[in-house]
Amino acid sequence: MMLEETGYVDVEIGEPVDTFAGAPGEEKARIYDVYGYPFRAVWPG
Amino acid sequence: MTSTETATSEAVPTQTDGEPPVDPDALRDEVKAKYREVAEQPDGDHHFHTGRKLAAHLGYPAEWTDDLPEFAIESFAGIANPFALRQLEPGERVVDVGSGAGFDSFVAAGLVGGDGYVVGVDMTAEMLTKSRRNAEELGLDNIEFCRGFAEELPVQDDWADVVISNGVINLCPDKRAVFEEISRVLRPGGVLQFGDIANGNNIPPGAMREIDLWTG
Repeated sequence: MMLEETGYVDVEIGEPVDTFAGAPGEEKARIYDVYGYPFRAVWPG
Repeated sequence: MTSTETATSEAVPTQTDGEPPVDPDALRDEVKAKYREVAEQPDGDHHFHTGRKLAAHLGYPAEWTDDLPEFAIESFAGIANPFALRQLEPGERVVDVGSGAGFDSFVAAGLVGGDGYVVGVDMTAEMLTKSRRNAEELGLDNIEFCRGFAEELPVQDDWADVVISNGVINLCPDKRAVFEEISRVLRPGGVLQFGDIANGNNIPPGAMREIDLWTG
């Protein structure tokens, strides 16, 4: 994952949210199985 | 497939090695045009939800949004809740990358309190105008909004305890450059917490070159 490749540690990904449900962009989101996620990562310095 | 496996597949649109799949300047212009519309016509014809309804859908607690006037939330166009995995602490210094009309910055300013500070960064003039006006009307003195790009943040090295972002990094063709720039402004031990999209199905290389896919 790119976050780790760039040096971040303790990368965490939360539960998906169906961001585009009911929106005009829903059809395209379904094609590519797109969801929103919260991400968290620490920069060790 | 678990949610983690899905999210670690590919960001949308994804990073590629070598040349960016789209012209970065053309993409930037398209993104500016889209978010200019969101600033000026938050209830307009967008492919995504906006505003208070979106914030509730993404899981922002009602106590963060109920007291915000409509002008401070109507142009919110995030992807997920960047505070879902970690809440901000009082006194923290925060950079909001792609702060838009300021909603996430206003939430952050409330969480870090008077001993903390928030710098919102956005490249779209109309969003900056709106976020600054909103902050003034909200009476917030622990926040400022600056013009800049995710790849060139107008923040000094090691300044931030936390960097937040919401639905912005997926719009940047060189995500590695964005993550590296964010690491420059984070202090050692600082935290990047953001909301963004990820896709479970691969995007064909031809589709990756369509700017419309990036912005809509």
